[in-house]
Amino acid sequence: MEDAYDLRTFLSGLVDDIVHSAVEGTPLEENADALSFGLGTFLVVNVVFLMLFFSQFAILWIERKAVARMQDRYGATTALRSLWVGENGTTAGEWWNMLPFGLGKPIGAVHGWLNKKFGNRDEKFATVDRVNNRSWMGFTILPGFFQNVADGMKFLVKEHMVPQRADRLIFEVSPFLIVSSTLLILGMIPLSSGIYATNPDLSILYAIAIFGIAPIGVFFAGWSSNNKYTLIGGIRSAAQLTAYEIPLLLTLLSVAILTGTFNIIESIHFQHSAGVWNIFLMPLGAALFLVTMIAEVERVPFDMPEAEAELVEGWWTEYGGMRFGMLFMAEYIRTYAACFLFTHFFLGGWHLPLHGTIGSIEFLGIGAAYQMIPGAGVTLIKSWLVFLIVFVWARFALARIRTDQILEFGWRMLLPLAVLQVILAMVYRLYFFDASGMDDSASGGMAWDLFGIPMLVPILTTLFWTGLFLIYLNDEGKSVNEERMFHVYTVEPAGTVVPGTE
Amino acid sequence: MAQMWITMGPQHPMTHGLWTLRVKVDGETVVDTEAELGYIHRGVEKICESRDFTQVTPYCDRLCYVSAMTWANSYIYAAEDLLEVDVPERAEYIRLIAAECQRLASHLMWLGAYGPDIGSLTLMTWCMRDREMFLDLLQELGGSRMHYNYPRVGGVKRDIPVGFADRLIAKVKLFEKRIDEYEMMLDESTIWLVRLQGVGYAQAEDMVNAGVTGPNIRAAGVNYDVRWAHPYSVYDQVDWEPAVEKPTSVKGADCYDRYRVRMEEMRQSCRMILDAIEKIPGGKNTNYANGDEMIIAKAPTRAPEGATGFSNYECTRGASQFYIQGGGDGRGKNPYRLSIRSPMFITIPYVAKTMIGYKVADIPAIMGSFDPCIGETDR
Repeated sequence: MEDAYDLRTFLSGLVDDIVHSAVEGTPLEENADALSFGLGTFLVVNVVFLMLFFSQFAILWIERKAVARMQDRYGATTALRSLWVGENGTTAGEWWNMLPFGLGKPIGAVHGWLNKKFGNRDEKFATVDRVNNRSWMGFTILPGFFQNVADGMKFLVKEHMVPQRADRLIFEVSPFLIVSSTLLILGMIPLSSGIYATNPDLSILYAIAIFGIAPIGVFFAGWSSNNKYTLIGGIRSAAQLTAYEIPLLLTLLSVAILTGTFNIIESIHFQHSAGVWNIFLMPLGAALFLVTMIAEVERVPFDMPEAEAELVEGWWTEYGGMRFGMLFMAEYIRTYAACFLFTHFFLGGWHLPLHGTIGSIEFLGIGAAYQMIPGAGVTLIKSWLVFLIVFVWARFALARIRTDQILEFGWRMLLPLAVLQVILAMVYRLYFFDASGMDDSASGGMAWDLFGIPMLVPILTTLFWTGLFLIYLNDEGKSVNEERMFHVYTVEPAGTVVPGTE
Repeated sequence: MAQMWITMGPQHPMTHGLWTLRVKVDGETVVDTEAELGYIHRGVEKICESRDFTQVTPYCDRLCYVSAMTWANSYIYAAEDLLEVDVPERAEYIRLIAAECQRLASHLMWLGAYGPDIGSLTLMTWCMRDREMFLDLLQELGGSRMHYNYPRVGGVKRDIPVGFADRLIAKVKLFEKRIDEYEMMLDESTIWLVRLQGVGYAQAEDMVNAGVTGPNIRAAGVNYDVRWAHPYSVYDQVDWEPAVEKPTSVKGADCYDRYRVRMEEMRQSCRMILDAIEKIPGGKNTNYANGDEMIIAKAPTRAPEGATGFSNYECTRGASQFYIQGGGDGRGKNPYRLSIRSPMFITIPYVAKTMIGYKVADIPAIMGSFDPCIGETDR
């Protein structure tokens, strides 16, 4: 179903009106349509890009906040809480007190209650407070949010240095290869049905093809720096590519088979029309996609190309100043794009949960209000949650695995599972899918009924994979590890051994 | 494929100090290694010849910057052997508690540094946080957070403060729970296990021949702990067992065994501290004045020519030994000669050779599991 807010049509119409009235009576009049199309597209593309780009600051901020909390051993639930409670109960920027007529008092009361109930109570949190309390003239709003801007400014004023005897041309070109190809991914990503830059028919293929360019730039960067660490980092990146790229493509193939399209927007429409998000039909595919995407964006536990313990900083050791800053930004954009793709392929894009069911409530206009929630906001919140729950949590709970281990993992586990997922997707599409149940109205469709029971296919699938996951969770080589743990020999009591007699 | 030498160090995240590991790699596989030590040689042994017996202690503190208390104690036992002093039992108990707190802090520093070696940054901040507890306790004793200058020939500088015992017990009991938490995070993580298990095998026999001591050799099943085999101080009066790991492979101890043995040793230190603070003579909540005969005995300041003192002490990284000859400058006020046996000086070249055959990514895993400290290595 289309999102209620169609920014694209609105902006194009606006530009169209302005251009037509501006060129009326001039020699340009006969080209007015082409001109307005060009200017309108330019405007839309830039607006969408800026929306995506500036919302990226949010994930940097989320990571900063969440990490500070996780490292204070209170886990990700505290991390979520910290987004609204603030530090030490006092520094969250009490913006509600600035609202007129005391309108913000209830918010203040809720905030106070949250702080009293879950807030940071004593000096145990001193570290977090020191890390996170950035105030401007004593006034703090979204504590720590603009720290990233400050970091970027710092990079901007650094000197640009090229190592002696580096291959200067390639050294300079490769960051641009990486950054520009990364920015192109954002062109494929819709925020909602009305807010996107471009929408080619094969946008899934295009996005993944663009994703695959950056590793070549990484390899160039590693090779051209004339440094043994960067060389090993670049080669690791290329080796890693062979391990995750094929399972990733097969997983996307299964998404395409299930939804019947290679277009991102159409696959989201399919999820709504068929009645259920893909994650409930292919939990295995979702897990594979996340694992391979973490490898694709080179974050822990798959960040061997920049393993700082043995390779200092891996392939980007020799980059400094704004080039380092841009590479760093590119890495986060790739991560962000991965979160968006997961949201679109598996979490129904801009559709709210139970969009049709809650949307059909007529009491007090609740349903209508629910459906008026902007789709772009839903997409952003879903992606931020994916980033927080998967990417950040994994990064700070796991260690880094070895290059040979990811190759083994990729070829011996991910690849067979991805093939299995493709076969499952074919079976689902051919034998369980009921095309007559598709419905593009607000209520959504019922295409996954089985034996007349609504939604039986996703329910059974989810139960099966959850059960399998729980079994594996409990039986993870426990006996072997228990055997290896807690060996303490009890020998003769201290002092009874005479040296030299044993 | 062509082979190349990579020079890791002297400034490298893997080294945990200042030294160079030259690695010859064939692709990702290590085919040869070479350790170069000596970047921070300060000549402590020579400096000590121009200091009197009390002035030597701060230099011994600085031998290892994460385990100052045990090194100072190690020197003090040698000096007391030389000067023939009987130490009051309360002072021995205080020294034991201080040394075990230092052992906990040192092992936490090891675990905290080992986390980033494997790629887990969270571990570092968690360990640093818990280490603070023990540094605070040591600060109450010595007045400083790193180099305490706490033990004296014949006893300790000052008694435990009032309330120290309660804080100690509370923190140690909290820390015992935290060890379980670390194990929950690490031992149940498959990635942690695959990175550590089957990596960096070290045979017990080879290590004995090379002279490796401490937790590294106990991980290979060798039941040798100086505190247990040759009990000094009051280690034979408190309740503990040496932590010895039984390796599951015939190839010897891997990184996981060395990790386990240190975790277990932290438990044993906690047990020891909790027992010692109850058994301390004179009561745990009394505070004797500085120089009281309960905490420090009268000691001579001069040693006759020809007298020798020796101590064999279980530091956090292995057996540290001091050998002192009396009768130096100032009519015997200074040591004539002081010699230090550092466990890591022996271990590091051995470790460099155990890396051969593993991957480049295993270098920090193997090196970190042996807990290198360069301050004591270079002396």
